[in-house]
Amino acid sequence: MLGQVVISGILSGALYAMVALGLALIFGVMRIINVAHGPLLMLGAYTTYFLSTVLDVNPYLTVPVSMAVLFAVGVVLERTLVFRVVDAPELSSLLLTFGVSIALVNLAQLLFTSDLRSVEYLTGAWVVGPFALSKTRVVAFVFAGTLTGLAFLLLGWTKLGKAIRATSQSREVAMVCGIDVQRIHLVTFGLASALAAAGGALIAVIVAIQPEMGQTWTFKSFLVIVLGGAGNYPGALLGGILLGLIEQVASLFLTTQLSEVVAYVLLVAILLVRPTGLLGGRQT
Amino acid sequence: MSGRHVALAAPAAVALALAAYPAVASGYGVRATLQVFMWIVLAGSWNLISGLTGYVSFGHVAFFGAGAYAGAILMSKAGWPWLAAALVGGVAAVVLALVIGYPCLRLKGPYFAIAMLGLNEVLRALVSYFEGLTGGGNGLSLPTLDATIPIYYVMGLTAVTVIALTYLIITSRFGLRLMTIREDEVAAEAMGIDTARHKLYAFLLSAVGPGIAGALTARDQGYIEPISVFPLATTITMIVMVLFGGKGTVWGPVLGAVVLFVTQEVVWARYPYVHPLLFGAIIVAVVLLMPRGVLGILQIRYRLPRTI
Repeated sequence: MLGQVVISGILSGALYAMVALGLALIFGVMRIINVAHGPLLMLGAYTTYFLSTVLDVNPYLTVPVSMAVLFAVGVVLERTLVFRVVDAPELSSLLLTFGVSIALVNLAQLLFTSDLRSVEYLTGAWVVGPFALSKTRVVAFVFAGTLTGLAFLLLGWTKLGKAIRATSQSREVAMVCGIDVQRIHLVTFGLASALAAAGGALIAVIVAIQPEMGQTWTFKSFLVIVLGGAGNYPGALLGGILLGLIEQVASLFLTTQLSEVVAYVLLVAILLVRPTGLLGGRQT
Repeated sequence: MSGRHVALAAPAAVALALAAYPAVASGYGVRATLQVFMWIVLAGSWNLISGLTGYVSFGHVAFFGAGAYAGAILMSKAGWPWLAAALVGGVAAVVLALVIGYPCLRLKGPYFAIAMLGLNEVLRALVSYFEGLTGGGNGLSLPTLDATIPIYYVMGLTAVTVIALTYLIITSRFGLRLMTIREDEVAAEAMGIDTARHKLYAFLLSAVGPGIAGALTARDQGYIEPISVFPLATTITMIVMVLFGGKGTVWGPVLGAVVLFVTQEVVWARYPYVHPLLFGAIIVAVVLLMPRGVLGILQIRYRLPRTI
């Protein structure tokens, strides 16, 4: 029983980690919490849904397409709206991205209606020894692990990644070193949206989607960042896995309604006891 | 008459007219005005925390809902009179604000905003879980009682109190400290302001009004359910009202509440799906194009005092 819980927790935790890494990147580089992160994930989910049901493409092949589409959406969003509030007081950036998120959710309701939609693919589970592993969740884990790994490779080993980390440490110094900070902001926002889109695409195969699915993801991604320590990118990984485990353990003891509360209580408790996160503050 | 006299006489005249209004008005007129009062309470309260300290509350409707449930449970299960229950609704909202505000407002940055973003869903889940007390998804019916007119007066009084409170705060040292936090929190700390405590006080004050309004609305409608008292749309509407009217001002939320409510009744009621979309666009537009809102622009252009 416990083994099953740990496995399920890690499976869903990888997904949390990947989505939260996007939010953490934007926060680290631009000092903005993007409230529209979850709704962008929702758009990624719908992209996969329509590609796989209307055009009949294998849903897992649509993951890169969703990521590319949302990368473009993220870039447009940054270039038209978000860059205007990067240096503004926090109130402005929070309200602006909140406004964007409301607009996106309601636009989706208008275009796609509020009906629950699901992608039927790879149903059932693989039985390994005493454990039953839901097929879609295992595939999502593999995708999320690979994509998160690629993101860390990009951050750690490429010139672009170095520039992103530099901007996140100090924008002024990065600028002095000749880094085009505006471009880094643009790319970071695009990458973060693509990570959210990948999450949405994978979720669409696991559970039914609807326009309001995004809000919870903004909240949970933020919780993951807080768990791992804000501005600490590897922390997002640990935070994601932790949240996955905690939710699974909680669902053992509590009813479904109350297990939704667990994430919230956890956030308030962490802020009370250890506001810098479990791994400590910024270190990139 | 000097400007100061006008500034006092005009609101007094409006208040008198509104006090006499139920005697001549239709049922619809009283209900609509009651709604305007409610929106003034909600928008004015949001302004106390977010407009004055700059800390954005994305879940203020949680206090409305908490007040509604606290009041409704007392009225239906314990047989309390509605006025007392409404006051307890306000107290319940303050207690909730203390629980959330104490950990989250000690920190700078977006923690508070995101915590408030999640609060609504949590309360909804709790209401569904404690089914015996709250009726769960089936809702909670109150004993029949036609009290619209007395509720009209109490809601009106609450609205006046919120406006007066905002005026008192803005003209006080306490208010100046809050606005210092908004403009530069590090500087405020350097000047010796206990920022965490000031933010918390502002937050507690901002929870009372919505709590009372929630309980009053529960009594007036006679029936509440999770969807009707915890809609995200209510928070969005409050935010749009304050941003449009002018955040951090006394009359901005009032202006926003009246203008938006009337527009909503006249125009947008016909296009129920377009208007939330439009609200998102309005928030974006106001933040980028006129961050001070209508009243803020007038204040600068005509050199009006900041107590307007």
